[in-house]
Amino acid sequence: MNADRAISGTRVRLAMTPMIDVVFLLLVFFVCTVRFERNEVVYTLDLPQRGRTADPLALQERPLVIRVGARTGDRVPIDVQADGLRERPTSFEALAATLTRTRRGAGPDAATAGLFVADHPVLIAPAGDCGWQDAVDAFNAAVRAGFRNIGFARSGA
Amino acid sequence: MKTARARISVIDADLTPLIDLAFLLIVFFVLVARMSGERLPAIPLPQPSDAAAAPAGAARRLAVNVLEEHGSAVFTVGGERFATDAPGLERLVSAIAQRLRTDPTSPVDIRADRSLPYRAVEPAIHAITAASAQAGTRVTIRVCALHAQGGTP
Repeated sequence: MNADRAISGTRVRLAMTPMIDVVFLLLVFFVCTVRFERNEVVYTLDLPQRGRTADPLALQERPLVIRVGARTGDRVPIDVQADGLRERPTSFEALAATLTRTRRGAGPDAATAGLFVADHPVLIAPAGDCGWQDAVDAFNAAVRAGFRNIGFARSGA
Repeated sequence: MKTARARISVIDADLTPLIDLAFLLIVFFVLVARMSGERLPAIPLPQPSDAAAAPAGAARRLAVNVLEEHGSAVFTVGGERFATDAPGLERLVSAIAQRLRTDPTSPVDIRADRSLPYRAVEPAIHAITAASAQAGTRVTIRVCALHAQGGTP
């Protein structure tokens, strides 16, 4: 065989060892850098300075306030307050339903149903000892109801 | 026999510089990967049922982590730890502001342990707001959660 190559006049010699070394190194590099992150989702938060408007004569909308208290067992005290509205839903599912009812354009009679437009400010006001999970649950309920300007209030506000 | 030897030409590919270059590229990518993509700590994030949130995506973001350690909260940004006392929060604001100056468009994500009370997470929100004002940028603050199995993202 070698003799045949020698006779044909050309011999190509490829050193495969360093090539395999490099391939292994690349493999190790990708194994080390790959991220096995779980399905992380994000809620965009409205900044607290939302109330400041460019026009000093413009009416500042009073936010729809959702107060969330500290959990006792399975129960989380939730209080929804706004102009012409005061409700105390017993769960975050009920909160989402309440908020959906209050949003204009959410019901079957879209033109009239609901007091607040989707851009109306919603303020989640958790108590200091309210769990972060419950605060995020309340935020999620507002997002599910279709509201877009949602922020967190200072605890105790 | 002599004339046959003269006709033989040996092509010997020198792979050494190629491998040198490959190694240099590997070292470069390892360093760049460490600098650009910070490894986020594993935190038990809130997991709302039927989460109506958007996927975090793979885009560049600045994560402010709020970890639970021995019953109290600790903030971390890019591997740097910050206490929850006043000097710690001041350092946190400066660290976020510094990162916002270099990358003002990236959103700032709050990744907080779901077992913490709101009062432990709240300083992180205020720190980001203060850092935004310090850096002279308007940032997008996002709250991170986990997409529960069976829900719609």
